[in-house]
Amino acid sequence: MRLPKFEYFTPKTLNEALALLKEQGEGAYIMAGGTDIVVKMLHGRLRPKSVIALQEIDGINKISFSPQEGLTIGATARIVNILSHPDILQYYPALTDAVKVMANIEVRNMGTVVGNLCNAAPSADTAPPLITMGSVVVLTSLEGERRLSLDEFFKGPGITAMNQGEIMTSVFVPLPQPRSGGSYKRISARCGVDIAPASAGTMAVFRDEICSDVKLVLGAVAPIPLRAYRTENLLRGKQWTHELIQDAGYEAAEESMPISDCRASAEWRKKMVAVLTRRTLVEAYERSKKN
Amino acid sequence: MKEFSIIGKDVPRTDAIVKARGAAAYTDDMKLPGMLHGRILRSPLPHALIKNIDTSKAASLPGVKCVVTAEDTPKIKYGNWRLFPETQDEYPLAIDKVRFIGDEVAAVAAIDKDIAEEALELIDVEYEELPAVFDVDIAMKSEAPVLHDYCPTNISVNRKIKYGDVEKGFAESDYVREDTFTVHGVSHAYLEPCSALAQVDLDGRITIWTSTQVPYIVQCLLASTLGMRENDIRVIKPFVGGGFGGKMELRTWEFCAALMAKRTGRPVKFTLSREEEFLAGRRRHPMKLHSKIGFKKDGTIVAKDLKIQLDGGAYNAMGPTATFLCGNFGAMLYRYPNYRFHGQHIYTNKPPASAMRGFGAPQSLYATEIQMNIAAEDLGIDPIDIRLKNAQVSGDKIPDVATISSCGFVESIQRVAEMSGWKEKRNSLKLGQGIGIGCYSFISGGVFNWFNTQYPFSAAEVRVFSDGTAHLLTMAADIGQGSDTVLKQILAEELGLTMEDIRMTSADTAMTPQGDLGSWGSRVTLMAGNAVVNAAKKIKEELFGAVSAHHNLNVIHEIECKNGRVQAKTRPDYGLSFGEAVALVQKANRGEPLVARGSYTPRGKGLVTPAFGFGAQVAEVEVDKETGLVKVKEMWTAHDCGTVINPRSVEGQLAGSIQMGLGYALSEQFVMDGGKTLNANFADYKMPTAMDMPLSHVTHVDTYENEGPMGAKECGEGLASPTAPAISDAVYHATGYRCKDLPITPEKILEHVEKTEDVGLESRKTLHCDLEPEPYKIG
Repeated sequence: MRLPKFEYFTPKTLNEALALLKEQGEGAYIMAGGTDIVVKMLHGRLRPKSVIALQEIDGINKISFSPQEGLTIGATARIVNILSHPDILQYYPALTDAVKVMANIEVRNMGTVVGNLCNAAPSADTAPPLITMGSVVVLTSLEGERRLSLDEFFKGPGITAMNQGEIMTSVFVPLPQPRSGGSYKRISARCGVDIAPASAGTMAVFRDEICSDVKLVLGAVAPIPLRAYRTENLLRGKQWTHELIQDAGYEAAEESMPISDCRASAEWRKKMVAVLTRRTLVEAYERSKKN
Repeated sequence: MKEFSIIGKDVPRTDAIVKARGAAAYTDDMKLPGMLHGRILRSPLPHALIKNIDTSKAASLPGVKCVVTAEDTPKIKYGNWRLFPETQDEYPLAIDKVRFIGDEVAAVAAIDKDIAEEALELIDVEYEELPAVFDVDIAMKSEAPVLHDYCPTNISVNRKIKYGDVEKGFAESDYVREDTFTVHGVSHAYLEPCSALAQVDLDGRITIWTSTQVPYIVQCLLASTLGMRENDIRVIKPFVGGGFGGKMELRTWEFCAALMAKRTGRPVKFTLSREEEFLAGRRRHPMKLHSKIGFKKDGTIVAKDLKIQLDGGAYNAMGPTATFLCGNFGAMLYRYPNYRFHGQHIYTNKPPASAMRGFGAPQSLYATEIQMNIAAEDLGIDPIDIRLKNAQVSGDKIPDVATISSCGFVESIQRVAEMSGWKEKRNSLKLGQGIGIGCYSFISGGVFNWFNTQYPFSAAEVRVFSDGTAHLLTMAADIGQGSDTVLKQILAEELGLTMEDIRMTSADTAMTPQGDLGSWGSRVTLMAGNAVVNAAKKIKEELFGAVSAHHNLNVIHEIECKNGRVQAKTRPDYGLSFGEAVALVQKANRGEPLVARGSYTPRGKGLVTPAFGFGAQVAEVEVDKETGLVKVKEMWTAHDCGTVINPRSVEGQLAGSIQMGLGYALSEQFVMDGGKTLNANFADYKMPTAMDMPLSHVTHVDTYENEGPMGAKECGEGLASPTAPAISDAVYHATGYRCKDLPITPEKILEHVEKTEDVGLESRKTLHCDLEPEPYKIG
């Protein structure tokens, strides 16, 4: 299908991009890797008035990490670069787990983590691990910068807390706490190229055999990547036992709100939430022993 | 095994390098000066009357050169079953009525694809929606909506086979069981979506390049549907990116490209999108199979009664053949002294099902093989042993079908059991791990002449030259299976030449010899191969005579073509180079070029096929009992395709078959909401990828088929059948879930596991009662 007519801009600086975004107003879209927006345009699901590409802006494609401050992923940092980043593998293995299974090689080569978040699909693979890690997104506009917990960013399928005129310039991921462990797992009916019908991300902190803190986020089973608060409450402060993990699985399944669609039935998705919750908890515990 | 110089050797495919380089030109790669781009308007409704079509807005859109509806066509029906015109139920564009979502209503040709696409939105079609039917059981009821006026029952084909006395057979059986199986539709999912480019000559004749398996059938049906003469149509098949049965009929875009080229005087090209292929493309027949089978206590089959309902979708397409064949396949593999079959092809308001790799066999044999395993278990016999007991062997006569000539079925079963370590694994695998078997038999081309051609089924022309080269012309269509390579190998072997010595022209209906029925039913190697051998033998006769005379050889000498020479077998020094021999023949014939035609039409081979392939396959799986996900770890195949002409091509067919079988068994399906396909893309239509492929081992059982060229027979489609039953049996072995309703989804497995977990598993499952989940490691 013919791409609908639109203006295409390639600003060289962030300020230029922000000015363009304001000037173009409603109907202007930001493009990072283009792996979502171009596909939507080709299928006629999105008809932007203008597209502002960020790829030529210096400095926002960086991935920076220090063991003192944590991790910052710039707006145009590609998924493939996350995948091959040794510090991310060491300190944030759940994020590596997520980008490893995302889409396919071609999409990983072009796509960005920030774009994956801004696209706000309930099944976005990077959202659950990043939320559990306590990530904060940096939203920049001509008025300045504001920081928002990623937890509060998603409002519905394709809907976010971002205002008109804002660009997500980076996502900041704090350092993992001592004796914490993270995990991300998803279900796939097919190796490699798939959109998961259910996924789960966990980050848990342990004191001896007590789970002192935990975050659990479920993907593709609600309109947004879903924080499973009830399950977290069930786990927090408890002695780590087989029964506890079993119960957490049931609770998470209860808490999820999946729909039936061509990928899976709601009923099966709930069962998978239980399985994934348990498996990520087990892996998070194992990994916590290394921190 | 016979000794060959090129047959059976590791000869590279002639198309491999150009395809690897991306240099091979497919239809959509072609551009002609002034070419227009066509798009098709499809019905959004599953069943509706067309009250009015207004194309005026579309026609006046700048850039649009031609808009057609049924009113602009001669309104002539077509269909592959020319022998039975009443089965021809399709028009290129819908007249008065649409019958499925995606039914073709109108076509636009414009200066570019985007304008054509935009013009589609400007065509106003006024529909009056009719009640629709999507289920075969409902479609057969008397009050059901009727799709075609000529067929008030919605049952378009009834096929019956009967021999022996089935009732008596059941009465004499010690064990009788009945099962109902349902199998689903899947997509051919060939890499190259359909494409056609038509050009009209100055004298009004049409040349069409099209992605087809059947150039000759397209030529004939395009001519009749346009009201032209056959010789006015030239069909050229460029490189084709797969067909699997989905490209074996005349299709709307071929017709519209030709019609619109005639109307505009400009070349017109149509290429379908993947979404169109998924939404409206042909698919494998969903079927409902009811099978009753009787055994003696010792596992000997006594009788079988098979009833199959095929969900044909809105038109017959190749459904009549599928209906015939699934009845024939139901009587294959094992000896059924008493057999009865009733097949019904039923219309529903869904995209038409048609031929697809295996052509009724994967469905029919799924029922056969699963029921065989159930019976084996009930009778306390190993699945391998019950198969060996009943296996068809060379010389077995199938009433009204054929006497089986070469048959390596027993060896296939034995070899696959050895290779896979069957006996040990069947008894020692842990719960969650399983091993299972599936077998197949398939035809090497069809005998029954439903197309009603007056030509030979396959033909070849061989021209030889004094420079030591040859030119092979054949209408056989290489659609990626490698027939160009195989036919060249056969000619090279016969004439003692190298692959490089042979030029080839194939699948051009104006240049290559009539006829060839196309690439389907695994017919090309045997039929076109035989035509090549036939032509080569005529050439050799001439060459042998010339060499004999030249050397004044004693008449007792046998002469051969070998290593680029024509020579006496026992005295190779008495000979000439191939080119010298050709020159001599020409000189003796006043310079006439040395040319021979060969052909093949099966005779005295019954009504089904001249030869059968056989094989057996074992799959090993691992099932995650918490998610229900199945991982196929390893597969073993032993099969009998007669002489292996090109080993890598045969292994390629096996790999492709396993990939298709994996999808059929586990992951591929059309998710339908009534008549609408919801998963019309590869993200949600879960075709397995290279990463999903299991380890695979193969043994070619050594047989020689006397009816085949150099002893060869089919290997392209039969292998599409055993994978699903083998995986299904392995899943049963691993979990106790016996799938009678394909595909085997994680949800179905989980449902079974949950049901049986509470009560504890029966039968063999109690052997390894490791049903508790792996304890989570603490600390």
